[in-house]
Amino acid sequence: MPKLNLTRREFLKVSGASLFLAGVPLPGFTKDKPPGTISVIMLEGGMDGLTAVPPFGDPNLMNMRRDLTSTNFLKLNSFFGLHPSFQYFGGLMAKNNASIVHATNFPYQLRSHFEGQNLMQGGGLSPFSETTGWLGRALDLAKTPGRSLSLDMPLLLRGSEKNDNFYPASIKGSGDLMTQLIDTISMAHKDNESETFKKVSKKSTQREVNIPRDPASLAKFAGKAMAQDGGPLASVIKVDQFDTHARQGAEEDGRQGARLVIIDDIMAGLKEGLGDAWDQSIVLTLTEFGRTVAVNGSEGTEHGFGSAGLLAGGAISKSRVISDWPGLAKNEQFEQRDLMSTIDYRSVCAACIEKALGLDHDLIASEVFFTPKLTRVYDLIFS
Amino acid sequence: MNEQFRVAQKLGLMFRPETPVPDDIKSWAIKQLHSKSPALGVSSSFSKKIKEWPKNLQPNLEKRDAMFRLYKVNRKKENEGLEGQDTPQAIQINYRKNLMGVTDELKFAHRNVYGNDQVRLRFASFWANHFTMGNIHDNQNEIGHAIDKAILAKLNGNFSQMLYKVTSHPAMLIYLDNIYSIGENSPKAREMRARGEQAGLNDNLGRELLELHTVSPSAKYTEKDIKNAAKVLAGWSLEHHNTIQEEIREAGTANTWDMYKKHYAEPGVKNVMGKIINQGKGGLKEMTDFLASHEHTVMFISSKLAEHFISDNPNASDINYVANAWRQSDGSLDHIHTAVIERAVQSKEPKFQWPMTWLFQVLRLSEASFLNGWDQRFEYSDSLMRNSDIFVELGQGFWHTRQPNGYSSDKNEWISGEMFERRIRFADAIYRKGKPKHKAQGIMDRIGANDATRKLVANAGNQQKQFIALMCSPEIMGLEHA
Repeated sequence: MPKLNLTRREFLKVSGASLFLAGVPLPGFTKDKPPGTISVIMLEGGMDGLTAVPPFGDPNLMNMRRDLTSTNFLKLNSFFGLHPSFQYFGGLMAKNNASIVHATNFPYQLRSHFEGQNLMQGGGLSPFSETTGWLGRALDLAKTPGRSLSLDMPLLLRGSEKNDNFYPASIKGSGDLMTQLIDTISMAHKDNESETFKKVSKKSTQREVNIPRDPASLAKFAGKAMAQDGGPLASVIKVDQFDTHARQGAEEDGRQGARLVIIDDIMAGLKEGLGDAWDQSIVLTLTEFGRTVAVNGSEGTEHGFGSAGLLAGGAISKSRVISDWPGLAKNEQFEQRDLMSTIDYRSVCAACIEKALGLDHDLIASEVFFTPKLTRVYDLIFS
Repeated sequence: MNEQFRVAQKLGLMFRPETPVPDDIKSWAIKQLHSKSPALGVSSSFSKKIKEWPKNLQPNLEKRDAMFRLYKVNRKKENEGLEGQDTPQAIQINYRKNLMGVTDELKFAHRNVYGNDQVRLRFASFWANHFTMGNIHDNQNEIGHAIDKAILAKLNGNFSQMLYKVTSHPAMLIYLDNIYSIGENSPKAREMRARGEQAGLNDNLGRELLELHTVSPSAKYTEKDIKNAAKVLAGWSLEHHNTIQEEIREAGTANTWDMYKKHYAEPGVKNVMGKIINQGKGGLKEMTDFLASHEHTVMFISSKLAEHFISDNPNASDINYVANAWRQSDGSLDHIHTAVIERAVQSKEPKFQWPMTWLFQVLRLSEASFLNGWDQRFEYSDSLMRNSDIFVELGQGFWHTRQPNGYSSDKNEWISGEMFERRIRFADAIYRKGKPKHKAQGIMDRIGANDATRKLVANAGNQQKQFIALMCSPEIMGLEHA
């Protein structure tokens, strides 16, 4: 693990406290085990792919984004760089355990956070068309549960009713949960509510240790749970505040840069928690859209279209930047303002499902994404 | 539950034991829209006396602005190690003396638990959520003011007035970045560009004004409409890094709720969804008035109101009833809210209650002392949770950092093992630490609990378990048909 300096740690502690976090587990589940695990890091607000993975080989980058581009990026190849916030992720790339997909998005071209977030989680053909999420449907098809570590249940994981969420409670004055009482309450409720109380009752018999709430520790917890025999195969971690309309910054301490550090830390936490299970794992990021190519009037960026996706895990055997680069010149931009998306990110998600859950691409395309002709990009990522 | 408590659950916060329960519940609810609304609370968790919050803990906007500017100055000294501002004591004093978030959030909890204006407070919460102003630190002195003065104090006016006052409030201008937006062809932008600085529009508030606060995406506005809305908004700005003298020089006023900096504004008329908006300060009012009465706004918000108050699955006739009241009264909130009340009373469908509403209702029904008093707001106690932690653990709070679409009223968004576990844990903690005056049996008799609830409580066990079972019953959670 690369050495992380103290200031960086301290910053994480502060920012972590205000985060909405998510993770995994549903113990006691045994079945024919699919080949691997899948972890999604949801980035709310629109990650700036051009800041995270600057295409320094494109002459227009510095013309348009000098103030948003780190002077200290790591060169990945002759064209793409990596933001210095990604110390750990950079190490994974060097070990052929991580890749990047660039100029990519779900096929959503409007710029609403909430439609975009709904679509990236629901995976439907239009916003608000689905009541279940693509990962939830994939887990249903693989007949395996997942459990999200956040206070609300993200749409992404909805599908199977066995999916559950978990976020450590800290309510002063409350005692041990009383199984029999909760069973009694459960019986007084109907339908979904009754089932939900039943889950609480079941959980009350499992003593959870105190889990710290910073992103890295939650990720580690999630990784450990997934590494257990019969543990869950999926986890979701949510990071917010990528919506940097003003004073976005360029470096690690900037508003985007500081968020990227959190992604990096989650990657490190997952790897540590997963241990040997890392070898069969895939981690991917998800964001609703990228940000405008041009800087706006307040040293920030507006909602855009194409962004970048970060992939990591032992399931990757060769690091690369996968991109059909559209260019940053005005006439190459989407609607003359945003990075174009040339790779459908649903295809990337589908490839990760195929790898981790062992499902057939055609099945994923039609049952998970309702798009039978969805392009298969598996070989681009995993060959 | 009897009809009085059923309605108080849907539209209010439940009757506290010391208040009489009215016979004609519908008339009472409508009258509540005009009830006096002082911020009531207690000075300490041991105190039995409910009083009005002290004036010195409710500073006006000018004072709040000054406090935040001072806070910033002290922070700067702290970072530079000047004037002893970097000692732990000085840092704590700066935080406690000059920031309002903790105090305002406690006042909000108090008035919901102790107030006599329960229906007003519920509508105020609906609008505070509709116009989400998340705490991004720099606006924490203004959020509470916006809820009190731009929402609660405007509850009997027209929707267009509330829209204008919220949109131009510093809590919103800061939250959605409008303070950074400068018209591209404004004198200020030209000046800044001449110095080699970035200057131009920030469309965040313009976008959410259309998408979330008024017409919604169903109106099919374009990216250009969003940009033009941002142009109308450019100039509505304040800067906490400035001294107030600098602000007066730039805006001609010290009033940050009416702060329009002319030389930041985009010159020329603007076209927003076909409506021509004049240049100048009056443009914002022209735009918000236009959006406030737009048919898509009427339908969008009528649906949201119905889903929040009438039932978990409001039907088209419920929504149309509210929308018609809106159209016929040209947006009078009294008429709109009355329509909501009429339909909520008429509908026997259940309405699932938010975690924070549930907490307030449980505390009112049981008269538990679960909240710290205002004198204790910065104290750490072994038994009671800090107020801000209560909202964190509930997973809901108006002083949380959160996305501008706010909290959903859809019950499915709230049904999960984790959220339900928290209800049980809170009921338990309230029983153990809040020492409720009323036990499950007494509460059930008072509200006229149904047989299923009585059976559940009878099977639960001791007093403590009975209390938990009652508070987590379908009836108290808002899951049961009348």
